[in-house]
Amino acid sequence: MDRLTASEIIIRMLIQFNPVWIGLAVILTASWLFRKKLGLYGKLFASPVGVVGLVLVLFWVLTAIFADLIATMDPLTQISGMKNKKPGWPVSGAEGEWYLLGGDNLARDVFSRMVKGSQLVIAIAPAATIFAFMVGITLGLPAGFYGGKLDTGLSFLANLVLAFPVILLFFLLVTPEIRSTGVPLALAGVLFLFPIIFFVMLFYSRYREQPGRLGVLLVITLVLGLWAYSGLAFNKDPFGVFYMDPNLLNIFVSVVFVNSPTVFRIVRGLTIDIKTRDYVAAAQTRGERPWYIMLWEVLPNARGPLIVDFCLRIGYTTILLGTLGFFGLGVTPESPDWGMTINEGRKLLAVYPHPALPPTIALMTLVLGLNLLADGLREESLKD
Amino acid sequence: MKFRKKNGQELPSHVTEMAESVKNSDGMSRREFLAIASIFGASTTTAYSMLGMIAPSVAHADGHGKKQGGTVRYQTEVRALKDPRTYDWSQIANFARGWQEYLVEYNNDATFTGKLVESWDVSEDAKTYTLNVRKGVKWNNGDDFTAEDVARNIEGWCDKSVEGNSMAGRFATLIDEDSGKAIEGAIEVVDSHTVKLNLPASDISLIAGMADYPAAIVHKDADHTVENPIGTGPYLPESLKVGEKAVLVRNTDHTWWNEGNGAWVDRVEFIDYGTEPASHFAAMESDEVDVNYSSEGAEIIELFDSIDGLDRNDVVTAATIVIRPNQQAEVDGKKPYADKKVRQALAMAVDPAVCLELGIGGLGVTAENHHVGPMHPDYAELPAQKVDPAGAKALMEEAGMADYEHELLSIDAGYRKDTTDAVADMLRKAGIKVKRTVLPGSTFWNDWAKYPYSSTNWNHRPLGVQVLGLAYRSGEAWNEAGFENADFDNALKEALAIADVDKRREKVKICEEIMQDEGVIVQPYWRTLTNYTKSDLGGANHHITFEFRPQDLYWKA
Amino acid sequence: MVSFLLRRTGVMLLTALCLTFIVFFLTNLEPNLEKLTKSEGNMRMTDVQVQSWLEKNGYRQPLFKRYGEWLGVAPGWTRTDEDGKVTGRCIKRATTAEEAPKFCGIMQGDWGFSLVFKNPVFGIIKEKLALTGKLMLCVLIVMVPAALIIGVIAGMREGSKTDRVLSTFSILTTSTPEYVSGVIFIIVFASKFGGLRWFKGTAATAMDGITFENFTLPVMALALYGVGYIARMTRASMAEVMTEQYIRTARLKGLSFPAIILKHALRNALIAPFTVIVLQIPYLLTGVVIIETLFNYKGFGWTLVAAVGNNDIELLLACSVVAVFVVLLTQLISDIGYVFLNPRIRVS
Repeated sequence: MDRLTASEIIIRMLIQFNPVWIGLAVILTASWLFRKKLGLYGKLFASPVGVVGLVLVLFWVLTAIFADLIATMDPLTQISGMKNKKPGWPVSGAEGEWYLLGGDNLARDVFSRMVKGSQLVIAIAPAATIFAFMVGITLGLPAGFYGGKLDTGLSFLANLVLAFPVILLFFLLVTPEIRSTGVPLALAGVLFLFPIIFFVMLFYSRYREQPGRLGVLLVITLVLGLWAYSGLAFNKDPFGVFYMDPNLLNIFVSVVFVNSPTVFRIVRGLTIDIKTRDYVAAAQTRGERPWYIMLWEVLPNARGPLIVDFCLRIGYTTILLGTLGFFGLGVTPESPDWGMTINEGRKLLAVYPHPALPPTIALMTLVLGLNLLADGLREESLKD
Repeated sequence: MKFRKKNGQELPSHVTEMAESVKNSDGMSRREFLAIASIFGASTTTAYSMLGMIAPSVAHADGHGKKQGGTVRYQTEVRALKDPRTYDWSQIANFARGWQEYLVEYNNDATFTGKLVESWDVSEDAKTYTLNVRKGVKWNNGDDFTAEDVARNIEGWCDKSVEGNSMAGRFATLIDEDSGKAIEGAIEVVDSHTVKLNLPASDISLIAGMADYPAAIVHKDADHTVENPIGTGPYLPESLKVGEKAVLVRNTDHTWWNEGNGAWVDRVEFIDYGTEPASHFAAMESDEVDVNYSSEGAEIIELFDSIDGLDRNDVVTAATIVIRPNQQAEVDGKKPYADKKVRQALAMAVDPAVCLELGIGGLGVTAENHHVGPMHPDYAELPAQKVDPAGAKALMEEAGMADYEHELLSIDAGYRKDTTDAVADMLRKAGIKVKRTVLPGSTFWNDWAKYPYSSTNWNHRPLGVQVLGLAYRSGEAWNEAGFENADFDNALKEALAIADVDKRREKVKICEEIMQDEGVIVQPYWRTLTNYTKSDLGGANHHITFEFRPQDLYWKA
Repeated sequence: MVSFLLRRTGVMLLTALCLTFIVFFLTNLEPNLEKLTKSEGNMRMTDVQVQSWLEKNGYRQPLFKRYGEWLGVAPGWTRTDEDGKVTGRCIKRATTAEEAPKFCGIMQGDWGFSLVFKNPVFGIIKEKLALTGKLMLCVLIVMVPAALIIGVIAGMREGSKTDRVLSTFSILTTSTPEYVSGVIFIIVFASKFGGLRWFKGTAATAMDGITFENFTLPVMALALYGVGYIARMTRASMAEVMTEQYIRTARLKGLSFPAIILKHALRNALIAPFTVIVLQIPYLLTGVVIIETLFNYKGFGWTLVAAVGNNDIELLLACSVVAVFVVLLTQLISDIGYVFLNPRIRVS
């Protein structure tokens, strides 16, 4: 069998990405049609920069969702004779199969690894960012709202973490030996509590007057939350649904830990600003409880900057995960995680650029997409 | 014709017989013979002449003269000095080699050359060693080097109370179990220049042990710092910055015993470019170094080959990687690898040739899962092993471990990671579940011998029995396989006491068979080591055990 | 102003104290101590040997006591072995047990001894900071003017084609972390596979003397990531200034566009970027660690990696003290600078 030419490779890759194209078409058409009803997201379509960003981000999200359909090979299987082969190389011993983007130094398919790697990145980075936001919001709102000693204390803690050089913190926290000491577990135990607290407070402050509804919501939140909590933080899930690899947990917790203080500062700043507004004063005169005002008056009005920061932060987290990969502190070996793959490929870059380039481009485009999206959102939200 | 040792005595008859068998090329290779003959005290010249050959001499082999003077820049890791007995990196020794010398040196052609010991004599039962200390050697502080110094160093090697003293393992025969020190009377100073070692049991590996890198000879007042470098060698450390650069300069105030026969260059710079092969290449390519430590990996070698004006130096060695389950290790309260079937299955599923291809890009020769190879004089060839993934799966099922997920650990980079990844993939293809975990070098060694299932690299050792004794004897500190087998121990014990290599080989063969049958390790290949030197630099070829000898360096005239 | 500075200094010291204790705690976790012992003794030491080494070298005292020793508020440990030889924290090679001081911590000016580098920590840090200082200086010299020019030009005419191109470029650079750009630069500019061989792929020789050849790539890679962020801040600030009343007035007066920009807009537009630039310096640290590792430039970042790899406790502590002070100092400078530059704000 012959090696594929450059154009054949491109055509075959485009065909492999078919599910993504269909998905993109459906989502974009639907969003365009209903843009008037979609609020900030709908307005995004007025900004070309934002649309480009959205398309890039959606592309990778859809790739992650349909990864099994898109990947041509198993990302871990090594096929003898395919070590470092150039893009478009026919798979030895199999008819009609190619390594579209070549083989890496362990004879695995670079294309499939890039596609499968998107799953890890798309799952970890936003999840970690959401957790960081939960922590930041739950602490930032009262700090900004009440001020005083509470604010001083929490701000000092936040500044303490921020004064820590990120890289040193990671070196100290994300090491295999620290796992045996229980420090990451303790951190996870604390940080993973915040989403539960957040939702409990969210429902409690709103439905305090309607015990029936509140009860249902609280029971659901607590059951689901504590169930996930037991599994994720302590690997004690009785049903084995929620589970996190210890190494992944370690990284996840560290990423949440470094990101939370920044979110905290942003939320605190926004809260201080927003609490002087008329509608907050109005709510206070109505006699609303502080937590109701914070969660149902202040927070919705802070959403613009927070959404923008959320997009930027996912990009930052993606880069951070790559940095960890660069220092060999990444998720798991063999895993097609982009940061790790770049680090692996980097070593042989001068001889074989093809294993390192696809994940590099993937990482860059995803982060670029997130940044452009954030930019578009910021532009549109400022127009309010 | 009679062949004599360096001290004039006749060589044991089995050695002369061996020479005949090499010449008639039945059974023994030339290499193997040279190793054995020189262990028993034949000089390199004698050993070669027994084969009817002329010894290759460093001075004349390449047809070049040697320039006096010059600077050599050497890419290597630069590590902190410490007590030589606790050296854990060849790189530490390589720098200290400038002023610290050895009793004996081991060469690429598997011979041993006397250095501070001019010659030695081993009795036929390998229970008495007579060391003839070189005369006229002086320490660079003016003291005379005598038999007392040799005896004191050997006593030091036998001191188990020094944390991290790895010489104690090499000289275990001389150590009294109870006191943790050398056995009373075992080290005997006969006269000012003769030391006699009286062993309670046969041990043929002591000379090889003396040539190992932690066996540097130190002065009684040495404190292992750059500020106070007492030694017998021709160089002195000018500076040492860990992780960056270290410099040796010729010691002009000291008359070296081997003056005129080495130490040609004036200055040797040891420059650290980190652990990444790509930056070693970059250093060489931008002409910042003249010789590199070792080029690892087929891709990197391809890169180095593309630079003009370099010589490539290959050496076939017994350096290898071992992927072993630990039979004593407990995982979740069970000992998964105590079952022979499980171990056999793990070995059966792995094709050494694939490891060689994917792990190190074919730079080596395949091995046979028993850690003794054709480069060892005592190697016995066994029938080829079968690779049988289906059989492996069946065996694993038989052992009731079909659903067990094996966690396979390795260090995080280079051929060790790649080879281990290749093994993991072959196991998966055989239907055995494997999870890979890698650890950075800084933490990997913390528990290297205790991991339930992991890979470890092993350096070259001159004799097959040495490795077997170090790594597979019951209860040894480095027995990372947790292997305890009385038959093996007995066969090895006997082997270690047999001086005659042909007779010893029969015992080693038993050991090899037990190793294979028990599925103790997967040991897929022997590595060929390579480094590069500037074409006009001599004496810096890759050494079989990673030695770098400043004394031997010279620029070709 | 004085009370403001005093308060800030107080907070700084408290922060440094808390952080060093955290670092101290983390580096003194059991597995880390084991790591340290093995790099001091022998990689393949047994557990019994590890324990005995730790015991002999004073690592088995209570955590707070040892933190106090490091600070210099608790007396250094001493130990008498079987032969009657006294060893201890404050007993150095040159001194005897009698001559040695009782306290030796940072309050006495003793930053400790690096186990990896076998040298006093203070000297190492001083030397490494000088090296990294050079790198940072070069980066700032390249990064700041480039970012300001891009930002000012883009913000001058918001929404123009130039603005779109420059803004996209800024976003692109913030999406390219150092480990990506460094790697790409080496391929393109320093290897035969890129074709161009203008620069060197290592900066090892730059420690002895900086040349254009050995220093360009690391500086470029570091500067690139930071450029985008500062440029975007400058652009936003510039765009805001351009809509101000006095600019319109100047325009109506018939002043030329360049004159408006240089005389009126720039000064006010650069206040916000100033804070950003100063606050950006600590963020460069992560980049410095990556770039110094990648290019083999043995400065502060490289030292940090080496110290972590061997769990060199005292060196790590010193590194974190330095890092913390850089962070806090830049915060202070940015606050004070902001006040001085902006006439509308007064410190209360």
